[in-house]
Order: sequence, then structure tokens, then C-alpha cells
Amino acid sequence: MTAPALVAILLFVEIPFLMSVLYSFTKWNGLDKAVKFIGIANYAELMTTDPGFGSAMIFTLLFTVLAVAATNVIALLLAVILDANIRGKNVLRAAFYIPNIISLIIIGYVWRFIFSRGFDSFGALTHLGVFQLSWLGDFHLVFFSVVLVTVWQSIGFYMVIYIAGLQTVPREQIEAAVIDGTGPVNRFFRITLPLILPSVTVAVFYSLSNALKTFDVIFSLTFGGPGTATTSIALDIYKTAFSDSRFGYGSAKSVVLFLLILAVTVFQLTAFKRREVQA
Amino acid sequence: MKRFLLTAGLIVLCGALLTGQAKTLKLFFYSPELTDQYNDMARAYQAETGITLDITVNQADYVTLLRAKLNSGDIPDVFMSSAYADNSTYKDYVYDLTNADFMKSLEPSALSGVTVNGRVTGYPFLVQSHSFIYNKKVFADAGITALPRTIAEYGAVAGKLQAKGIQPFATGYKEWWVLPQTAWQVLAPIRDSYAGGYAGFVDKLNSGALKFKDIKEMSTVFDVLDLIKKYGGPKPMESDFNDQCSLLATGKVGIGHQGNWAEGSILKTNPDASIGFLLGPVAGSASKAGIMYDSNQTIRVAKDGSNVPAALAWLRWLTTSAYGKSWIPDKIQQLSPIKGAKASSAQLAQATVNLLAAKTPSYPWFYQMFPTGTEQGLGIILQGYCAGQTNRQQTLDAMDASYTKIVNASK
Repeated sequence: MTAPALVAILLFVEIPFLMSVLYSFTKWNGLDKAVKFIGIANYAELMTTDPGFGSAMIFTLLFTVLAVAATNVIALLLAVILDANIRGKNVLRAAFYIPNIISLIIIGYVWRFIFSRGFDSFGALTHLGVFQLSWLGDFHLVFFSVVLVTVWQSIGFYMVIYIAGLQTVPREQIEAAVIDGTGPVNRFFRITLPLILPSVTVAVFYSLSNALKTFDVIFSLTFGGPGTATTSIALDIYKTAFSDSRFGYGSAKSVVLFLLILAVTVFQLTAFKRREVQA
Repeated sequence: MKRFLLTAGLIVLCGALLTGQAKTLKLFFYSPELTDQYNDMARAYQAETGITLDITVNQADYVTLLRAKLNSGDIPDVFMSSAYADNSTYKDYVYDLTNADFMKSLEPSALSGVTVNGRVTGYPFLVQSHSFIYNKKVFADAGITALPRTIAEYGAVAGKLQAKGIQPFATGYKEWWVLPQTAWQVLAPIRDSYAGGYAGFVDKLNSGALKFKDIKEMSTVFDVLDLIKKYGGPKPMESDFNDQCSLLATGKVGIGHQGNWAEGSILKTNPDASIGFLLGPVAGSASKAGIMYDSNQTIRVAKDGSNVPAALAWLRWLTTSAYGKSWIPDKIQQLSPIKGAKASSAQLAQATVNLLAAKTPSYPWFYQMFPTGTEQGLGIILQGYCAGQTNRQQTLDAMDASYTKIVNASK
């Protein structure tokens, strides 16, 4: 029964992946019919003489820390609010989810417009300094702009995961805590949070791997700029392969990115699984 | 009856497929601003010959898509690329046009960018020029009559515009391709300082004998970039192509570095805009200030397809037919590489023709001789400089490192 699925996965995932591992040992510009095998030279270059990859790595790690933390905290907060009995919660849930179903490339272009033209108009109306800053042009600020757009786009998805988790928390335990006189903050941290840890595990896992691979929003919002201020590893790979015409070297970088994501997420999953409890 | 219908249907379908195959030419182009003109040309060609041109147009991802197509065997009959370094990039795929009869009808100067060892590897499509574009009304209103050609004069003009409350420059610094065009124009007279001109200069860079940090003219490049940024408004790093065009069109800025391809977008915003070219400041004497003028956008015929004769017939038609000859000057409104083609009425094309006629220095797009990939790589490094991410020394070192890497990779 699983044979067709297996064939499909082999054909479209495993074989291309193995091919790119193979290409990572070659020197190939992506076009020439001759491909030259050069052993581990690509990996050696990557480790020793490529400051671009190093800075992309640093950017990606900082971005991941901030984006994962912000996404999960805000999504959880929204989930708690929208799980309570408030008016119009379905409309609000939909509103927060909508950015998630828009193409990331479009979102990048929309925000590019908001940051430049939109902020110009707001600035002219309100004279607030925050709108007069160059959110996409200042190489320090642009980091936060990219994080902001990414978080804005993705919280809807994680909010849904957390709402689903919150609905599995047994009412009687909450009620028992209320009767025992536990305050809302304690109730959340002592009862609700431990019980929804499986959701936290899933949400952090997804947001981690997505943040480490981040590409689309940056591609359309800043194209990694100004300079290399927002070049993530994935964008660096894209530029290496398609702009510098170094397919082999780009493949080597993607193998490294794969190993990085694998290591981080395996560590995260084992660490989080250990803390999960049963109600 | 049913079976008869089915058979008849199949025959018709096969017939349509067969004839369709013989009479369709697949073209893969960039410059989406010319989509209407491409389609107009395709309609005229179909009307005259019955052959359908199936044109796909893309910009942002053009190179990536083209590579995917070439690699996967879905090779378009005709595609576009840059000239110079791209001649070798696509060497395994392009048809040699050296002996094609219609190539003799093109200006020899337009062929220099596509000729490798005496072989003509592509068909020069358009002749384009870039330099600083200025809004004539803004200049007149500010009382500027003497057009600037040195950095000092540009600085003085910018100061005057600023004093009038007009932003002097729209930088275009958000686009990675505007920066190198602006920067390399400053370096253009360098052909006089090296044996063998640009080829000698680029050979030295490629062999590593010359480094960017050793080119003393680079300090002038940085001076120009700094000047534009200083007078480039409150958010100079956020200005893109659209921003440049709309600000120039509406007279909210006086000057922007762009090419004649920007005219369409400028006039779309303001049909009455009156614009012209300024001579770009260069490293060296003021008399060397000029414009960058070349045929870079190149049409290439894929050599492995069964449609090579049809593709050649189309290019012959484009070069020799009445419609073909008037297509670039009249419809595209740019300069044509065909011998004796009439001049376009477009303002920037006219400005180019007039400047050339007045023997103003014009320089080829020599930076296209740098290995493929350096245009974007160096552009991004220059962008980092303009954003303040790196200082001059760090920028030069980064340029050398990036250039060396790409040269080594293309060996």
C-alpha cells in the first residue's frame, strides 16, 4: 500500500537530495555540460574563506532566536485570549490567520510598500520619529523589520496550533484550581502550560525549522540588503547558485544548512519531549 | 457513428498538433516593460508569415528560469541574455550567427559585445544608454543653466536644488543593478590607462595582477556614491527603480542615475515630463565626462532545436522587413542596431543621438566584461558601502575577495 508514496518520495525528495549532496563535491556552474569532481574543496572553502557565509549564518541564528521567541510568545498569548469567551472571537481568529494564507512573496512586496510609502505618509501626518526612520535602509533596523514581517505573517498558524492545544486541557482541572483559590497567572503557568507542552513542542519545532530556512519574505522585502545585512543562509545559497553561477558550491552550502536544521531540531525535540506531562 | 466522430476528432487534433508544431517558435525574453511591443511584433509576424511566436516574458527570476529550462531540456528556440561575459556562459547552447546573411545589415559597432574570437554568438537587440537623467523643468525653475559634468559641479547643482526645497537625487540604491551602473560609469575612462583598453584592464583583474584596492580611481567612485547619498533624501537606501521614475516624472527630484529604458515609466507617470541626459562625472578630466552607450541585451538562437531555420528566418524578418526595421525606433522607442535605421522620437534616444553627434565621449558597458555573477556580487558590496555597513577599505577588500572567487569558479 505504501509503495506509490514511497516511489513518489524517492523520486521527488530523496533522489534530488542525494543528487545535491553529490553536486556539493563538484565544481559546476549549473549550465556547462561538463561537471568536475573536486572532492571536499567546496566544504573547505566554506569553512575557511567565505565571510559571506559566516555573516549569513550569524544573521540566520539571531533571526531564528528572535523570530521563534516572538512568534511563540505572541501566538500563545493570542490563543489564550481568543480561547476565552469573548465577543467576535471567530472573526478575530480569522483575521489573525489570514496573513498565513497569502503568498510570502506578496507579503514582502506589501510590506515594502508600507515601510516606504506608507511610513512616509504616516510620518507626514503624525510627525512621529518612528515613521521617519529608514526601516529598510538602515542596516541595523532592517533586521527588526524582517523579524516583524515574519512574525506578523506566521503567528496565525501557531495561534491555531495553540488554540487546539488549549481545547484539550480538561475543564475540571481548571475548575478545581479555581475552587482551590489559584489566581489566573498561576493557573496558566502551573496547569495550562504544562498540559499544552505537546503543542509547544510542535509549534517551536515548526517555527525553528522555518526560521532557519527563511527565504521568501527576505527575497521580496530586502533581497538580503542593504549590502548583506539581511542575507539568510537560504538566500546566500540562492545567490551563490544562481547569481555567482556556482551550483556545486551552493549545493555544499545547502547540505550544511540541512545538517544545521537537523541538529537544532533533533536537539529541540528531545529536550522538549522530556518535559511533556500527561493530564 | 460514434467511432467515426472519435477518429475524425483525433485526426483533426493530430493535424492541429503537427501544424502547430511546425508553425510556432518559442521565445523566452526579459524586459517586461516591452511586453506590449513584443506582442505587437508577434501579431505582425503572424499576419505576414502565418508563424506564431510564443513569447514568455519574465524579469526578476529570468536567469534562474532560463537555467532551469536549459538544464531540463525544455530549451526555448530563442532566448535573451547580456552580451560580453554571457557569451561564454551560454556557449554550449547558442547557435553561431557569424555566417547569417542578415547580420551584415547591423552596425559593426553593435556586434563588438557579442563577438568572441571572430565568431558572432548573438544578435544585438537594442542599443541603450545610461547616465544621469535630469528633469529639465526642475533645472529651469531652479535657474540652473550650466549642466554639471564634474563632481564639484554636481555638488553645486545639488546644493542649489536643495536650497530650493527640491531633493537633488533619487538614488536607486535599493536596486543592486543601479549601483554598479552608477559606479562603473565613473571608471569608464580607464580604457586609456591600460594597454589593450578595457580588455587589457579586465584581463589584469581576472589574472589577479590588478586589484580593486590598487585602482586609484576607485576613490572618485566612492566620492560620487557619497555625493548622491548625501543629497538623496531622507531614506536614500530605500529608493528603487519605480521611486526614481516617479520622482523624476513629477519633478520632486532633479536627477537620477538611470538608462533610456526608464523613459516609458517616467512618461507613464507624467506624459509631459521633459527629461534629458547629463554627462556623468568621471575620474579624470572634465572633458572625459560622457554617457554609457552599448548594445547589451542580446537575442540568442538555441542551436540544438529543430527550429533553427525558423528562428533565423524570424531574425532576418526582424532585420530586413519594413515592420522589423521600424519596430525598435517607432514601437519600442529606443535605438536600433540596424544600419541606417531611423532615429527614435523618444527624448532620451534623441538626447543620446545628439550627444554622439556632438562627439561627446561615449563608453561601452565594459563592466559586462567582468565574469558573469560579478555584477550582482559587486553591486551588493557597493550597496553595503552606501548603507554604511563597510568603510572604503573594507569595501575594496570585499570586492577583491568576491571578484577573485567568481573568477576562480569560472576557470
